[in-house]
Amino acid sequence: MDDDLPTEYDVIVVGTGMTESIVAAAASRIGKRVLHLDSNEYYGGLWATFNFDGFQKWMEDLKISKHDSKDFKPDLENGETFLKASNQYSTVENIAEEWFISHEADLPLVLTKDTQTDGSNDTSSLTTEKTDEDKNDKKETKHWSVDRIKKEYRRFNIDLAPKLLYARGELVELLISSNIARYAEFRAVSRVATCMDGKLIQVPCSRADVFANKTVSVIEKRMLMKLLTSCMDQGADSPEFDGYHDKTFLEYLNTKNLTPIVNHYVMQAIAMSTDKTSCRDGVNRTKHFLNSLGRYGNTPFLWPMYGSGELPQCFCRLCAVFGGVYCLKRHLDGVVVSEDKCKAILTGKQRLSLEHLVVGQGHLPPEIVASTGENQISRGIFITDRSIMQGEKENLTLLYYPPEESDQEAVTVIELGPSTNACPQGLFMVHMTCKRTKTAQEDLAYVVKRFLCAKTLESNVSRTPTDSHTQTVATDQHQAQEGDKGANEGTIENPMPQVLWSLYLNLPASDIKLNESAPSNIHLCSGPDLDLDFDFAVNQAKEIFKAMYPSEDFLPRAPDPEEIILEGEEIPGPKFEGDNTSGENEKQDAEKAEKEE
Amino acid sequence: MDQDDVLTILKILMIGETNVGKSSILLRFIEDEFNDTMQNTVGMDYKSKKITIDGNTVKLAIWDTAGQERFRTLTPNYYRDGQGAILVYDVTDRSTFTKLEMWLNELYTYCNKTDIVKMVVGNKIDLPDRQVSTAEGLQFARRHQTLYIESSAKTADGIKCCFEELVQKIIQTPGLWDSYAYKPFYTANGVSGPRNRTGRRGLKLTDDYEPDNSYSSCYCNLI
Repeated sequence: MDDDLPTEYDVIVVGTGMTESIVAAAASRIGKRVLHLDSNEYYGGLWATFNFDGFQKWMEDLKISKHDSKDFKPDLENGETFLKASNQYSTVENIAEEWFISHEADLPLVLTKDTQTDGSNDTSSLTTEKTDEDKNDKKETKHWSVDRIKKEYRRFNIDLAPKLLYARGELVELLISSNIARYAEFRAVSRVATCMDGKLIQVPCSRADVFANKTVSVIEKRMLMKLLTSCMDQGADSPEFDGYHDKTFLEYLNTKNLTPIVNHYVMQAIAMSTDKTSCRDGVNRTKHFLNSLGRYGNTPFLWPMYGSGELPQCFCRLCAVFGGVYCLKRHLDGVVVSEDKCKAILTGKQRLSLEHLVVGQGHLPPEIVASTGENQISRGIFITDRSIMQGEKENLTLLYYPPEESDQEAVTVIELGPSTNACPQGLFMVHMTCKRTKTAQEDLAYVVKRFLCAKTLESNVSRTPTDSHTQTVATDQHQAQEGDKGANEGTIENPMPQVLWSLYLNLPASDIKLNESAPSNIHLCSGPDLDLDFDFAVNQAKEIFKAMYPSEDFLPRAPDPEEIILEGEEIPGPKFEGDNTSGENEKQDAEKAEKEE
Repeated sequence: MDQDDVLTILKILMIGETNVGKSSILLRFIEDEFNDTMQNTVGMDYKSKKITIDGNTVKLAIWDTAGQERFRTLTPNYYRDGQGAILVYDVTDRSTFTKLEMWLNELYTYCNKTDIVKMVVGNKIDLPDRQVSTAEGLQFARRHQTLYIESSAKTADGIKCCFEELVQKIIQTPGLWDSYAYKPFYTANGVSGPRNRTGRRGLKLTDDYEPDNSYSSCYCNLI
């Protein structure tokens, strides 16, 4: 039959999430026979990125009852037990989708200026547009309507688990050392923002930024440098931090006589801490932040083009290049256990034998689960018409927003512009993430209220952009709305972004543990966690790999295509010498090409 | 040859059912070799080669499926920024021809460049027992507005022509490629610069990445 898989493997990986994919790649890389399955028809599981249509389908599928294999009676040998897989540990809850714009594309036309994604926008256009809306460097564009967004679904990339990479974090180092970096491209986060006295300001990260910053005095700059040096040099183990091991980071900072603004920068933007964060965590985060500065861009952070869901796929590609077999839409029915070992899995009426089973949390038999974990994630996704903080060019913004009240959780906000391919020109995609306490909508409400205008837009009001990167909605309309609420600062020059579409959902933040009866060759992979970056998944993958193959290298550098000799090619054939290049040049070309692609 | 002579780099995708000869076509084009006993693709990632069309030299990065097409599980990532696609079927196996519709669909779904140039290739014309006629292949290509050629990776028939025509069409399609993306890479002393800072493409992670000057200083340098 067409869909029959080979039946013997060294490693079977179920689920194509981040950890699973890294392990699959690492096993395949050292020559193990790997089968990688996913019950979904897409890669990434809860780490996936979808276009608008795919995202709608994903939500539809959640409503339909999941695959059930209860009638399945496997043939077992003596001493074998069959444990049925369950998807009960990856439940998505409280999905709330809402539109704030009209359905039909029958709105009057507005004018927006055609801009480049490179964002070299002249600031003078701001005033020009206000005085004369019919400037000749603009082109006519239709309003965004539900229909239009659905029609242009392919131009959206919506992340279930949006995460950033520290420029010197585990994942960046792994992508480079393993040569998997060639499968992905990134954008540097262009600014780290923080909210101070109700206003959003950009945190100075580079020397130029610091010098240009007028809110911080020279004395404060020195103060900041001194503090950061102590975090940087020795980290949390420095004598500097003796006596603060059981204290909070805030308590430590308070002893340093910092001015409020410096304290704010360090606490909220650099260490991304609340007043409960331990001194150790605060120092380590500060160190991580500083370490990653200046490598790729203006800030320590990178964002994967097309979304976080690309990254598991990069590892899958490497796994496949080294012979891994891939099959999506394939359910794990259950596992066959004998004498404390998992011997095989059953899937689609096939029995596939294995040495190691690497499995994502969504596929575990309940019999081997000890605890299901407590943490959950609240997520909000918003398509908006302008940036939360307008700038002269398109920005990729990270904002850490600490709780205002004691019953709230700190919220991480990532705002993506068109150049990340998250959304078409003229729109922004805003991701909010926090630890769940109530429902996602309730948890995020206080931040949404502060930064976004989530009210239904009247369809008969003509709207004019003031800034080409950020707008499809009129300033007038916004000011009217702001006026109604009697709300926020600086609305005249920087109106709040209008939400066109919003979605809330709760996801499990996996901290599932296996119990003692779990066979030792079953390795559990977590789903997306609450951290900003991917380090948790990378480290987990390393641990799993080490448990399976303690003496083997973890993802050694994969050769470039030109270095690979194809199977069956005992003696390398005559070197192809085209285009007058010597062999040496070709190799250099290859290396350069690789950097470029 | 001087790097400056290369106009641009093009990403070409090989697409089609298992065993239609995608890797063989690639191998014939790149190395001018043919391996009768080639098994399922293992270790084939992408290959690059320079080709000169109408006086323009371009570099092709031709991506193979790495066998992921076997259970129809190519990653969307594979399709990103592809500028040309070679859709291969086996003229002696009708089912591989009918599946082309599905592959075109995938291409439409995942390829972010709407004007990607497509070339349909009927491969294995050296074999007897042909099941799909040239007329049928041509008709399919016309209906889907793709280029069409028949080839044999074994005899090398049509292989070179296939890539040449594809590249020619890509170069004739404005907006599909830009020389800009390539040029800044070889600046001053031939060192790779921060070419992607403002470009439409993202930045690539490399160990020796040299950030732009305005970025290179950070807090630490102030100390």
